[in-house]
Amino acid sequence: MPTPEHQPASDAPAVLEIDDEDLIGQADWVIGGDAGRKGRRQAWYAAYVATLGAGAYGFPVVQAAVQTTDPAWLRAQLSSPLAVGILGLSIVAVFWSLYSAGNFRGPVVPPLPWIDHVVGTPMDRALTVRRWWRLSVGSTMFAGALTGATLGAGVAFAGLMPWYAAGLAIVIGAAVGRASGALWLWGQVRSWPGPDRGPRLLYRPRDALRALHAESLRTHSANTSTIGGSVLAGNLRTARLQLARPVRHARRARLRASGPFRVIVRRDLLGMRRLPSTLWSGLAFTVIAATVLVWAVVNPAAPMLAITVGLVPAYLGYGAWAEGLRLQADNAGTPSLLGISPRAEASAHLVAPTALMLLALLAGVAIASRVEPVPATVAIQVPLLLAVLTGGHLLAAFRGTPPGAILRSGSGPVLLILWYLSPGLVVIAVGSLGLWLVRSTDTGTMWAIALAVAVVGFGFVRVQSLTDAHRI
Amino acid sequence: MSTVAVLKGDVHAEGVGKTIDTTTLLLPTNVRAKPGRCVVLRGPNGSGKTTLLRIIGGLLEPTVGTATIGGVRADERLPSIRAAVGALIGTPTTYRDLTLIDHLVLIDSTWGRDPDTSDARGLELMGQLGIEHLHDRFPHELSSGQQQLFRLALTFSRPATVVLLDEPEQRLDTGKREVVTELIRERARAGATVVMACHDPAMTKSLATSVVDVVPAR
Repeated sequence: MPTPEHQPASDAPAVLEIDDEDLIGQADWVIGGDAGRKGRRQAWYAAYVATLGAGAYGFPVVQAAVQTTDPAWLRAQLSSPLAVGILGLSIVAVFWSLYSAGNFRGPVVPPLPWIDHVVGTPMDRALTVRRWWRLSVGSTMFAGALTGATLGAGVAFAGLMPWYAAGLAIVIGAAVGRASGALWLWGQVRSWPGPDRGPRLLYRPRDALRALHAESLRTHSANTSTIGGSVLAGNLRTARLQLARPVRHARRARLRASGPFRVIVRRDLLGMRRLPSTLWSGLAFTVIAATVLVWAVVNPAAPMLAITVGLVPAYLGYGAWAEGLRLQADNAGTPSLLGISPRAEASAHLVAPTALMLLALLAGVAIASRVEPVPATVAIQVPLLLAVLTGGHLLAAFRGTPPGAILRSGSGPVLLILWYLSPGLVVIAVGSLGLWLVRSTDTGTMWAIALAVAVVGFGFVRVQSLTDAHRI
Repeated sequence: MSTVAVLKGDVHAEGVGKTIDTTTLLLPTNVRAKPGRCVVLRGPNGSGKTTLLRIIGGLLEPTVGTATIGGVRADERLPSIRAAVGALIGTPTTYRDLTLIDHLVLIDSTWGRDPDTSDARGLELMGQLGIEHLHDRFPHELSSGQQQLFRLALTFSRPATVVLLDEPEQRLDTGKREVVTELIRERARAGATVVMACHDPAMTKSLATSVVDVVPAR
């Protein structure tokens, strides 16, 4: 309670003087103890490991890819409008991804005790949450610079560009990273209603930090804990549901009744209409994938690595459209509601993503055929790609729970990461090998078809085994 | 095309019990039910009513005893068992991108019913439960009581010769419990075998043709 001598002499409001930096330092020690210093050391260590990884693996791979390709042809390709367009699209995709991520998990996520006891005080919010912002924006800048360094140095070392271009790539990468960080923060600010959330906050980070609402920080912190916990436990369903926004689009659209198989396909199409973000993100990835893959398939001089690179967005694009398949896997173990067998249901869920991917690849081939002759092997390579993507997503949706070995203290985290990546790695490995085999010999084509059939077959075996596995 | 045997709704659970390691979830229990009958399972929390329902539905393997439906061992992996058993045990997973009526149309269609009248059947069922005005809502937009009614609608929208219900009265007010009681009675009159766990004495008195008291392990 204020004593009389503390009351202001006039009607002017009393002023409270606060040494923000000093108070934050004290709070930091009381709440976190030595945790802040340890956290900073961990961040430096992560950067050190990433740099080593880029030097040991990224740089040699880029260099090898460039050196195994005709330099004059590659130079012409890299300076073509198509290459510039792909680069621009990729950067836009990174920007969009981080802005969207900011809606659920922004760059500023202090622990809950800090939010309750420090962020809620009258101290300047730009100071109380500054540490997490600096760590995040530092990470995005570092990731951008490292990517620029890896690509730039690899290309320069192969003699395709002068050395100073590598330095330029580092600067550009860091700038893209900085802009991504700003968009990430802007996404977080805009995830909560407020009076002033315009684009000027993109270049005024202190104002953006002050615009962060305590409840929004709390929500993002809780999201981080839930998503982090589910990811560590291998429970992707919880993480997906946590990330998902409530559906409100196309409420008046109706699912049209029809036969058992067709109604499942219609369900998936209606789902895409009601979740346009999945439709558009799938389309964005697929356009990139179709461009790279068709280019690699049509040009015999294109490096094999292009196919491997193109399979990554293809896997992501197909996955964005395969929500129905994941929903079926979520239902495994619950009393049966649908009058259709699990395999038939899974097959129906594959129709929409496979048809959309086929359309994208055929459109790419049609455009390519106007520029140069398309080899006949495309007729085998396109279905092969679709089969591998289909099998990979059956494996991804019906992967079940991670092996118990992930709980081991030493190798556990690595096993968990491998478990997450395994369906994607199958697609990339079998897809790359399959297309290479088709390119090489006629016998190779037979092997490629056998591999693709095996992946699809194994996918359906997983559908049945996960459906049955819950019965103990 | 595959064919699935249509099983009669004869439910026989002979001395079924479940023990995991040293923990007994259900002591050996007998349940017998014929088509058109309604067996109510009673017992305190933790006595094993849900475990018993899961065993009868073929979702769980008993440690002792055998459970059959229409003379076939209750195993959810068998298409004929899946075709016979409609169950509300736990929370069914719903599609977050489908409205309530879409869910009912989806289930109805997968059982090969006439597509032209699918919407009408879904709306009629929702009307019976008093939630037809919620037809264009998404599942996340419902209250807990409305969600329970929706789950019951999902269960009743598929054909079944055996209906298993785990506390269908939960989260419902007295009026809605009477509505649900009438719906269950209707299913039994139509020839379905109903086995349900229930804590509501009024519902039990109104529906039960026989009562099985499930004894807790300790």
